Amino acid sequence: MIPEQLAYDLQQRVKDAVTHREAAIDVLKELQRHYGWLTDEALAEAAQLLGLSTLQVEELATFYEMIYRRPVGRTVIHACDSISCWSMGGEPLLRHLEKILEVETGSTTADNAITLLPCSCLGNCGDAPALMIGEHLYGRVTPERAVAIIEQLRLGMPTKTTS
Amino acid sequence: MPKLIIDNIPVEVPEGTNVLEAARSIGIVIPHFCWHPALGRAGACRACAVKMLDGPVKGLQMSCMLPAQDGMVVSTTDAEAMAMRRSVIEWLMINHPHDCPVCDEGGECQLQDFTIAGGHGIRRYDGRKRTYNNQYLGEFIAHEMNRCIQCYRCVRFYQEYAGGTDFGVMGRAAMVYFGRQSDGPLESPFSGNLVDICPTGVFTDKTARFRARYWDYDMAPSICPHCSLGCNITPVARYRELLKVVARRNDRVNGWFICDRGRFPKANVNALDRPRQPLVDGKATSWDEALDALRERLNGFLELNGTQSLAIIGSPRMSMEGNTMAARLHKLLDTGKICYFSDSVHAGQTLEAVASLTPDNAASQEDVRQADLVAIVGSDLLAEAPMMALAVRQAWRNGAPVYVVGEETSTLFEYVAVASLSDIPLAEAKHPVLICGTNHVGSDIIDTAARNKAKLSFILDGPNAFGCALLSQEYGATPLSEAVASGKIKGLISFESDLTLELPAGIRVLAAADCRKTPLLSRAEIVLPSSAWVEMDGTFINNEGRAQRFKQVMEPGLPIKGLDPAGHPPRLHRNTPPGGEVLPTWRIIAKITERLGSEWIEDPLSDQWERLRELDAEGEGISVV
Amino acid sequence: MTQILLRQDHTGQCLSFGQYCDAGGFEALRTALGGMSPNDVQQAVIDSGLRGRGGAGFPTGKKWSFVPRNLPGPRYLICNCDEMEPGTYKDRVLLEQNPHILIEGMALTCYALGVEHAFIFVRRGYEQAAANLRTAIGAAKQAGFLGSDILGSGFSLQLDIHQSAGRYICGEETALINALEGIRANPRVKPPFPAVKGLWGQPTVVNNVETLANIPAIIAHGPTWWKGLAATPEAAGTKLFCISGHVRNTECFELPLGTPLGKIIDGPCGGMRPGSTFKACIPGGASTPYFTREHWGVAMDFDPVAKAGSRLGTGGIIVFDQNTCMVAATLNLTRFYARESCGWCTPCREGLPFLVHTLEKIEQGLGTESDPDILREHVHALNYAFCALAPGAMGPVEGLLRLFEDELREHITKGRCPFGD
Repeated sequence: MIPEQLAYDLQQRVKDAVTHREAAIDVLKELQRHYGWLTDEALAEAAQLLGLSTLQVEELATFYEMIYRRPVGRTVIHACDSISCWSMGGEPLLRHLEKILEVETGSTTADNAITLLPCSCLGNCGDAPALMIGEHLYGRVTPERAVAIIEQLRLGMPTKTTS
Repeated sequence: MPKLIIDNIPVEVPEGTNVLEAARSIGIVIPHFCWHPALGRAGACRACAVKMLDGPVKGLQMSCMLPAQDGMVVSTTDAEAMAMRRSVIEWLMINHPHDCPVCDEGGECQLQDFTIAGGHGIRRYDGRKRTYNNQYLGEFIAHEMNRCIQCYRCVRFYQEYAGGTDFGVMGRAAMVYFGRQSDGPLESPFSGNLVDICPTGVFTDKTARFRARYWDYDMAPSICPHCSLGCNITPVARYRELLKVVARRNDRVNGWFICDRGRFPKANVNALDRPRQPLVDGKATSWDEALDALRERLNGFLELNGTQSLAIIGSPRMSMEGNTMAARLHKLLDTGKICYFSDSVHAGQTLEAVASLTPDNAASQEDVRQADLVAIVGSDLLAEAPMMALAVRQAWRNGAPVYVVGEETSTLFEYVAVASLSDIPLAEAKHPVLICGTNHVGSDIIDTAARNKAKLSFILDGPNAFGCALLSQEYGATPLSEAVASGKIKGLISFESDLTLELPAGIRVLAAADCRKTPLLSRAEIVLPSSAWVEMDGTFINNEGRAQRFKQVMEPGLPIKGLDPAGHPPRLHRNTPPGGEVLPTWRIIAKITERLGSEWIEDPLSDQWERLRELDAEGEGISVV
Repeated sequence: MTQILLRQDHTGQCLSFGQYCDAGGFEALRTALGGMSPNDVQQAVIDSGLRGRGGAGFPTGKKWSFVPRNLPGPRYLICNCDEMEPGTYKDRVLLEQNPHILIEGMALTCYALGVEHAFIFVRRGYEQAAANLRTAIGAAKQAGFLGSDILGSGFSLQLDIHQSAGRYICGEETALINALEGIRANPRVKPPFPAVKGLWGQPTVVNNVETLANIPAIIAHGPTWWKGLAATPEAAGTKLFCISGHVRNTECFELPLGTPLGKIIDGPCGGMRPGSTFKACIPGGASTPYFTREHWGVAMDFDPVAKAGSRLGTGGIIVFDQNTCMVAATLNLTRFYARESCGWCTPCREGLPFLVHTLEKIEQGLGTESDPDILREHVHALNYAFCALAPGAMGPVEGLLRLFEDELREHITKGRCPFGD
């Protein structure tokens, strides 16, 4: 169940939209923010808010890269694997992240703290290799910086987003 | 009418025809998967490549996406076009499993045909095949996603054409999945069309799974007997069992589709315990003995009570042949009554509805689909005639407003609920159609339609209710309820009738012919087993007055499946298969009249109905209004 | 060198509304609403020779002219900020620094097109840009540059932000319209084109961020002045080039359109990074065929780049040094496109994974003599996909076959990647 305030806000968002569907992605993202990932419960809630069937919501949810339909850790690290980051050491960085997190790409650490996912271009190509953690972009991530970022994440501390 | 040249053959086609259809019209079949006449173009599969050599468009083009235009010079055999088609097939076959030997689609698979046509034979991709988990989609449709070639026909039909919301496409890129959000029966009353529309074996008819191959099917063009719309179907049988029913195209009637109610119920035909042998007083006997017994009892009855006390009962679910023969029996014996309908109010309304239809105002399903305004009066279409609701949806999708007087539970289209007919702006429309349930027929509706030049469609009860109404008129039939109420009727002979009234105990049921085990049969002194519609040729007249021929699909008899192995093969020498001693009702009546001393009747359609003798089962039908 | 989009004094910070106005911001809108007809604005854009900055380079004024003005119902403008082409980040840099210029550009465009409701479609990950836009829209509304009856002209405009959840295909304009409508972002059949039947079935123009951000300068200074900002007489205006890869300065630069490639790399980019020598580059975002040293002098403008066998695309230049394996680079690019396919049409959905598989084999040293034929066939056949994604994906593969065939064959004959460890 989502809190009353969130339900109200989402109802408003849907009400203000030109069509209910126009608000669909916003609703999914907000529910994901609340639950951590788009749970089946969230899917059903989204369907109700939007006046759609759960299938119709699923059709949208499974289309997008940043909607998670499976559980993720408290924090998701998206590591860009597109061409600019690749050319600047994105692959070794990802291997390094796997090593220090002790996970394979696509999975979550044992303490459920961090999920490591590869992702398509983050639009941070000038500061390659790039990561997106939560909603923040990180650029020029060296293996050393990666260690520092993850340490801070584990401590629940805010991290500096630019180099 | 654009004129174009395809593979050196000049062809002229109606405006709006695409190049793929134009080629098809001269017998050139260009491979295609996503394009479907009822769903239109999608441009997804890219299989229908042709080379445009000259004209307004040049180069390699997808023929389904291209409206035929004057001056086009098209090559379907151009090397580049053939290479493209081969590439598309190669891509589709990368992941398609080679499970054709165990796939129900085998032999009737568009992917098989077009793989051969596309010229792809040698596999170059040596990676792994993509695999999926299947879903449980209910008791009627089997799901085998590994076979999917992602043509998007299923979802376009299910959601766009048929308005379903519980089946769709999920994922993206090479990971698209066609199914439900979670396991569960498909909710759409048209879900069975997925079986027909899938170009390969993703959706197959679960009720007929692993039972037969296309080349072994018994099949013939037929007409659905489940409501009055007369949708065209092809029933499929094997080993004396009706296995499945698929939709058959008739652009004037059902288009390409049918509803699940017409598709899946088969028990009436296949039931082991349906009437399969003549019975006299409950004892199995031969036809000769049964007919002799009937003659004797009939003579005795008539001597005692007079001809006026006998009623002959026809039925709106019986073929035109059976019903006209019932009338002839009535004439022969000069019986007091011939009855086609049970209830007098209902009969009156059906007759009034049928009488009001003319060649100009009778609306076909196609007229409904093309209407620019639809008004529904007193009919829950989805419950009474699902395909009519689907037709209304197509009109609505094309922008026609829908008005409803009374209750309508369908979610297939949006509509405006109005209190009365006069609230509907019929006059503003060019091609309005008024659809009306039988129970609401009245002069107000007929007059309103006439005033506004609206076409009319009545939802009747039974596949031949229209025919029965015409025969009622012709022979001055009486509704059974009225005949019984008169107190004069002491006995009756019934042919495939479903009585809606309680028959007084004093009335003898001298004989009843049916292919179903109805309550009336248990009261009948003599039971005459009749053929189901798939076991004979016949004619139904649908709700718009369209006479349509159905052909015999299968030999009658106990389905081999389900037979006690001890009894199969039969140890007794006989000319008919076990349980196969049923006859079409019209032949039963012919035998009765013969027994009563008349000449043998070879063709039941006589007098004004003779014109239906040459009815082409694969045509659009003949209007009898 | 005149810059109209970026301000060097403001890198890494967002201009406030006040700062933008102090520097002449919204004057163009005042000018237009004060004395120009919508048609005058459109004509100025046509005269300027502005071509779309999102990748296709279609003349902007011409695109606007396709919009029928006599159809009932609303018309829409959508700003395409779904910047997901690898190597491209110019719109982010621009919006992180100056969201106001986009708002003014959109207001002018809406005035020209008679649009009263416009959207900015922002990709996932550009949260800062979206936040800046939100603030800027608030400020512009406050100041009367958005909302109803703007500056007493009778022209009204509602501007909304739509944030996506991340898919490259959403940048294709018809897919973007579907995404905005909240349906799966498959591209639509064309025709009808969005200009006639777009968002919710209404006439719709979709323009890139940079395209729209150029409109204020065209109106404020006139089309002739604006056109003259380019490096060659054929080119028009400036262009944001966003640089990544093996050069010293991997930044976004606003340069005269038509500046030669070599001058960009040796100039603002500061040359190759220490230890690197130039081997090749992608000139205009991930979908464009490679350039090599022989293209050093090509003027970075739409037609000259096309003539040289590639495309200016988004202006995202990705530079590779001598240690870059072009098979591996092409594999990386193809993987991106295979992953970002919407799954609608066969060539894209099935052809790209086939290519990825083939390139993987070659890169791993398992390629066979017939594999280059598979690549070549795909380069041809994928042109006939439903939308431009798959043909775009073939840019690098085509470049690989044309410019680096020897390197490709070396992988096969040696049975290993020559750049491997």
